[in-house]
Amino acid sequence: MAARMQSRKSGFLERTTASFVDALEHTFYAEETARAHGLLQRLDPRVKLLGILALIVPAAAARSFAVIGCLFAVTVVLAGLSRVSFSILLKRVWIAVLLFTGVIALPAPFVTPGRALYQLPWLGWTITSQGLASAGYLVLRVETAATLCVLLVLTTPWNDVLKALRVLRVPVIVVTILGMTYRYVYLLLQTAHDMFESRRSRMVGNLTGRERRRVAASSAGVLLSKTFDLSSEVYLAMQSRGFRGEVHILDEFRMRRFDWIMLAGFTLVSAAAFWWGR
Amino acid sequence: MSRTNSNGTGQLPVYEVCDVTYRYREVTALKHLNLTVNPGRRVVLLGANGSGKSTLLRILNGLCFPDEGNVYFCGRPLTAENIESDGFGLEFRRRVGLVFQNPEVQLFSPTVFDEVAFGPLQLRWPDGEIRRKISETLEMMEITHLKDRSPHHLSMGEKKRVALASVLVLDPEILLLDEPTAALDPKSESHMIDFLVQSKGSGKTIVTTTHDLDIVEDIADDCFVFHEGRIVAAAAPTEILSDVALLKQTNLLHAHLHVHKSGALHTHPHLHKHES
Amino acid sequence: MIAPGDAEAKPRQMPADSLSSGGDRQRNPIYNQLSCLADNARSFIRVNGLMHIPDGYLSPSTCAVLYASAAPFWYVALRKTKKMLFTRLVPLISVFAAFSFVIMMFNIPIPGGTTAHPLGVAIASIVLGPWASMLALSTALFIQAVFFGDGGITTLGANCFNMAIVGSLIAYLSYRALAGRSAITSQRRVVAAALSGYLAINCAALCASVELGIQPLYFKSATGAPFYAPYPLSIALPAIMIGHLTFAGLAELVVSGGIVAYLQRANPSLLRFSAPGIPLPQEEAQLVTRESGWRTARPLWTAVGLLLVLTPLGLLAAGKAWGEWSVHDFSSPAARQEIAKVSQNVTPPAQTPSGLERLSTIWTAPFPNYSPPFVRKPAFGYILSGMFGIGIIILLSTLINWLAAKTRHGPPGAHTRAEET
Repeated sequence: MAARMQSRKSGFLERTTASFVDALEHTFYAEETARAHGLLQRLDPRVKLLGILALIVPAAAARSFAVIGCLFAVTVVLAGLSRVSFSILLKRVWIAVLLFTGVIALPAPFVTPGRALYQLPWLGWTITSQGLASAGYLVLRVETAATLCVLLVLTTPWNDVLKALRVLRVPVIVVTILGMTYRYVYLLLQTAHDMFESRRSRMVGNLTGRERRRVAASSAGVLLSKTFDLSSEVYLAMQSRGFRGEVHILDEFRMRRFDWIMLAGFTLVSAAAFWWGR
Repeated sequence: MSRTNSNGTGQLPVYEVCDVTYRYREVTALKHLNLTVNPGRRVVLLGANGSGKSTLLRILNGLCFPDEGNVYFCGRPLTAENIESDGFGLEFRRRVGLVFQNPEVQLFSPTVFDEVAFGPLQLRWPDGEIRRKISETLEMMEITHLKDRSPHHLSMGEKKRVALASVLVLDPEILLLDEPTAALDPKSESHMIDFLVQSKGSGKTIVTTTHDLDIVEDIADDCFVFHEGRIVAAAAPTEILSDVALLKQTNLLHAHLHVHKSGALHTHPHLHKHES
Repeated sequence: MIAPGDAEAKPRQMPADSLSSGGDRQRNPIYNQLSCLADNARSFIRVNGLMHIPDGYLSPSTCAVLYASAAPFWYVALRKTKKMLFTRLVPLISVFAAFSFVIMMFNIPIPGGTTAHPLGVAIASIVLGPWASMLALSTALFIQAVFFGDGGITTLGANCFNMAIVGSLIAYLSYRALAGRSAITSQRRVVAAALSGYLAINCAALCASVELGIQPLYFKSATGAPFYAPYPLSIALPAIMIGHLTFAGLAELVVSGGIVAYLQRANPSLLRFSAPGIPLPQEEAQLVTRESGWRTARPLWTAVGLLLVLTPLGLLAAGKAWGEWSVHDFSSPAARQEIAKVSQNVTPPAQTPSGLERLSTIWTAPFPNYSPPFVRKPAFGYILSGMFGIGIIILLSTLINWLAAKTRHGPPGAHTRAEET
């Protein structure tokens, strides 16, 4: 089992705080790169959303290494033209995916029945070509799709991603909920972070397992109570400005010629990938 | 008290609060309260935390309704049915704006622009009008540069300004402000006070809650002192501020002395100001 | 430790590119340590379970089917919630979705000394009801997938179906059934919440493992190389369920029971929704539970123990299957025919791939034995091999708990070793 052990008794507090910080950082640099001046940043968010979806689907569907490889190459070029730094991609996506999916795909060459390619000398395990191919498909596919997804987020302010969902006929109410959720994820992350920090500073000595579970659960409970107070306050604040359950938003996107050209480009690449990747 | 209780000019008062009692989870927040707000006046509700002044502000904004007693807005009763009705309800929302003490609850939209646009969109203004009004308001509050920012990356002072802008965009005649200067750095605070001082003579009726004695004189024409859900004094600010016994009795002076002695243990918002 | 203020203020002055090269972060040892920990935490979510199925693991047709299965639930949930909450819908669901998101990042210490991430599905269903919980969780999953890249976009339908929809329904129904008409502050509700959380997350994991496990059955190249998730049910099922019956399941159990116990003391009105017709406690009643709130762990473990006793009974009833490792089937002609039929006429190698032989002993779960019969009678086969998994895992985890308890005062190293078994 890949569970990591920590001898420090209150390690869960550190680890939880660390994941909060990590998430906060992520929101942060996504917003930074979204404001840079690159190819994708200049594109209408609707085109970007549709275009990237149009690339993700064939990447997830294609049944040929060459096609997935080409899609990956297109993605890398797009990232380069959009000034998304490769070291971020490397750290955040490529290595992360390789670690995760790579570990999952690792036994595949050994357990998939098929033509034996090679036998590991000492262990005596057989690698099959089918197994190797399937591990390759999985890793390449996941890398490509994940890179595309990250590219969307790194080049588009989150708010625009949400508003662009309107072209997919996502109801206004859902778009509004998503926007508010993102806004309050940040607030609650910060609240939880502060809560854990203060618990940590008050923690003296080692806790028993039961105490640790109790701290974790009651922190979650406190956060839940705060969540409810927050939601009723927010509700009042919305009401105060005329909210009556129906949401209205301003659609402020305008398609330019550049957008149409890019849309055509995405469509072309996607259609080609579908055709050759059948 | 009768609804026609006039202010001598023949105009109807903006608000008339008649014998209002309000309970919240077993606690009686307001006890048989009476209060009149006349048009164009700047009114301060002065009281320590938990004295019921914020609750009253919410009642004045039609967000909650008294258990006993009545509230009249320009002669019309403020009831749940009236607020929900399309005609009066929408007009009321347009004419009355409330700025919450905690800007986090008021800034629920993904960007500053969307935040300011929320009110006008709910009131179904035409798109062109909305855009024009938004850029005007952003300009006035000096936050145009924050237009595309997410509220969570703003400083407290900026958040408060955006919250105020999101209400001012509707151009309300009556402005309700809940602790507008709480938890602000000195610069943002003076910005906020300037705004309140300048609004004298603008014809707006402004009701502000605060426990900060320093700002009362600048921002108030009338002052009501709250203590444990009741109004214990109503007079001009100078008169109230000179009544040390009253201020001590209502914990308004005590609160300050307490802060200086006990330091960080005390968590009242004004404490931050004293610390910084 | 970095305060959130620092985390946000520092990079603001930096251009985006310098973020990558590290800037002054590289020089900050605390930050390095933090990000290291964060990475561990993140990879743990992923390794611990394939609950958030990423893009590329499921074939587009599977994804489409699961989007289509989730859609009617979303529709009904939106309508029902609108009716119930009126204008409160938007703020309540949004803020609660944010809460679900944050709770998924909590590291929950589970018995035995390690930690795992909960999903919070039971607590969401208990507090909001199954429909609103579905919406809140789906929202949280959407943001996780699109913004944070945990879970895929094409697989979002599948993830929402497994966790938000199946999870919420199972959690709510089992909580209502287990809690019965007990008082809001009764310990029975804590146990009910804990078990419903455990059940819900395992049902969600079961769905995920079935979705992954059928991929190589239907989607493979002419030569037999799987295009998507490569492992058949016989591997996917035990591999995923092991993680959930132990780590993730226990984290869910602790969180669900713990939060309900906390709310009973601090904010019982939040538990009202899932206890219709049951009065809120009086002040005195609250004082009593304040004393006993955390002794509730005992009945909980009794219940788990009961499960433990019952499952091996089920195993015995299953007869000769125990210990008959299916790797032998590779050398039997009849079984090979069977496998060939199932795997679309690709004849399996005459010799058992020796890797498989090794792996099968690692998983210590019954292996392809169950694959052929269950293709013919799916439900039966699943339940059977599921029960096997559960039995073994519960036995194992109890053993771990017992060892952990014994070594609590021993050297820390012994502690760690006990769990790695």
